[in-house]
Amino acid sequence: MLDIKNLHAEVEGQPILKGIDLQIPTGEVHAIMGPNGSGKSTLASILAGREDYEITAGSVDYSGKSLLDLDASERACEGIFLGFQYPVEIPGVSNLYLLRAAVNARRAYRGESEIDAMDFMKQVQTTVEQVGMSMEMAKRGVNEGFSGGEKKRNEIFQMLLLEPRLAILDETDSGLDIDALKTVAKGINHLRSPDRSTVLVTHYKRLLEHVVPDRIHVLAGGRMVRSGGPELADELERYGYAGLEDEAQQASAVS
Amino acid sequence: MIPDTVTNRYRNEYDRVFARLPGGPGPAGERQHHLARFMETGFPHPRAEDWKYTSLQPIEKREFKLADAAGNLDPAHVKALIPDSLDAYRVVIIDGHYVPEHSLIDGLPSGATVDSFANYLGSNEGTIQSPVIKDEPGSLTDLNAALVTDGAYVRLANNVALDKPIHVLTIATADQADQMNQVRHRFELATSAEATVIEHYVGLGESAYFTNVVTEVVASANSKLTRCRIQQEGKRGYHIGSFYAHQSRDSRIIDHAFDYGARLARTGTNTRLAEDNAEVHLYGVYAPTGRQHIDNHTRVDHATEHGISREIYKGVLDDHGRGVFNGKIIVHPHAQKTDSDQAANALLLSDKAEVDAKPELEIYADDVVCGHGSTVGQLDEAAVFYLKSRGVSEDGARAILTYSFANALVQMIGLQPIERFVESALLAKLPGGASYADLA
Ligand SMILES: Nc1ncnc2c1ncn2[C@@H]1O[C@H](COP(=O)(O)OP(=O)(O)O)[C@@H](O)[C@H]1O
Ligand SMILES: [Mg+2]
Repeated sequence: MLDIKNLHAEVEGQPILKGIDLQIPTGEVHAIMGPNGSGKSTLASILAGREDYEITAGSVDYSGKSLLDLDASERACEGIFLGFQYPVEIPGVSNLYLLRAAVNARRAYRGESEIDAMDFMKQVQTTVEQVGMSMEMAKRGVNEGFSGGEKKRNEIFQMLLLEPRLAILDETDSGLDIDALKTVAKGINHLRSPDRSTVLVTHYKRLLEHVVPDRIHVLAGGRMVRSGGPELADELERYGYAGLEDEAQQASAVS
Repeated sequence: MIPDTVTNRYRNEYDRVFARLPGGPGPAGERQHHLARFMETGFPHPRAEDWKYTSLQPIEKREFKLADAAGNLDPAHVKALIPDSLDAYRVVIIDGHYVPEHSLIDGLPSGATVDSFANYLGSNEGTIQSPVIKDEPGSLTDLNAALVTDGAYVRLANNVALDKPIHVLTIATADQADQMNQVRHRFELATSAEATVIEHYVGLGESAYFTNVVTEVVASANSKLTRCRIQQEGKRGYHIGSFYAHQSRDSRIIDHAFDYGARLARTGTNTRLAEDNAEVHLYGVYAPTGRQHIDNHTRVDHATEHGISREIYKGVLDDHGRGVFNGKIIVHPHAQKTDSDQAANALLLSDKAEVDAKPELEIYADDVVCGHGSTVGQLDEAAVFYLKSRGVSEDGARAILTYSFANALVQMIGLQPIERFVESALLAKLPGGASYADLA
């Protein structure tokens, strides 16, 4: 599904990603962990098409397409979804309006007509129940006045409705109480299927107990320093990232 | 021979039409007085502080003529200009002349008068300037007083609350080149009367034209006027709008202004809180795009105690759009306990757009609260990315966020057909925005 090769990115001449290689096979869930400031959100944003970063080397292949040649809205229409670490508030623009615009953008991209209003509302109704959100909240301004937890729940709501082929969730589990976390995990597992893939960026093993990943990768200092199976999460929780950051530093000293 | 100066052109126009101008001897005397004053002062001097950013030269250069009659429009054409599902009384002025066929003033409650300004001027008590407001400043207001042909006149007796808004639709057909419209509206609300008036300006043709409008409001004790001003002049229209209100005790004026049209628009919104506990709200959205120039000057005079003023103006500027906002608040020496707040925010959608927005507070009383703030910014790129990551196009994201920026002011209107109308009209001005018109 996704094949990242030697990806280098910088902001204002400051290198942030220093040669990322990562493959996500179709049907798999991969977790990316790593210390604060290691470049996880940068990687997630670049995959979704944020333009603040300069890609200085490398390539990203997404199901046979060169991802870096598409703009963010095209990528969304191609089935990529980014769950934001910090979802944005857009007062006065209802969630449902945005979602209908998003659904119709996808349909237009595929040359299909707009979604029937009744069908859309049916989908909304089902999805709202799935994530334990009230209809009132679904209709409110996008993240307008939402608590941190509500914003994350809303990201999952949007994801479920848009049914992405590749979901990238950037710390969607951070700051959630256990009930909300379970809802989020349920949502992610619901989408799990042989033709979809998921990337979970997370700090905490807790999410990975509810969504068991196929692989875990550790990003430190802009590089992937470790990869392993689900058991790697235990090791990281026990020993932290300290040793890994040293590895990253040594690697950059050498290069 | 009279030299061809700017002022003489208007004097000649006065001489050409004066015999046909509405009103008896009283108004005729007023006209002459104002014409003389206009001849003396001429157009505002470009170096005058209030005119620093706005040049009227394009107007001065041309030779505008009054239209002798309303241009012909079929009812379907007029209907197309009216906000969907707006249930309202209607006064239609075309090319400076009231047109009864397009208007709708039947079924008014008793104690309510809605008429043309010309009819009112022809009546015994007709005066061009309200005796309550008396001497309005400004040479363009003088010019209007000299040449006014028509407008809307509304008077509500004590305790009369209108059941429906009044839609005052002023249309410039601009059928012929260099037409001018000298239009005047007066709204008089007696004690505890209540009304909503939608002052709506539309330009149709391709030719240059000049609309110079004056609105006077007399808000007696405990009355309430909600005014929506929607300015959609044509792209070669010049719009000068002057508003003067006199507010008695406990009166409220809520003004919602939307400036979308015209090549050049300059409005002056002036209200005097003349007695205690009067309240005014001034909300405005202005959106110059292309090469439009839109200038809003407001002035609130807090003359006595416990006055309340709330003001928010938001600019949306795209392309080479040029915006000016100046919000003057004067708190006079006896206006203790004044409570005033003003915010001026602007959103620049293009790096060629430009805005000058500033508060101007003059405070001569000590026991007052006067807040003010102003911001100029661009769209939040994180928000643009958020929307694009959901599949919305770049233009779509910008339109949605612009809508969001203006939305809080639109919501305050509280009249759904108008809210939808001004929102979709704003979106229609933005690239690709028309496909998001259903946001409204
Ligand atoms: N837009 C940006 N401008 C400047 N610096 C940035 C920007 N985005 C990220 N960075 C820097 O890049 C590094 C990685 O950030 P980030 O990707 O957010 O890390 P993580 O998500 O792993 O905590 C940090 O040092 C951060 O300050
Ligand atoms: Mg992060």
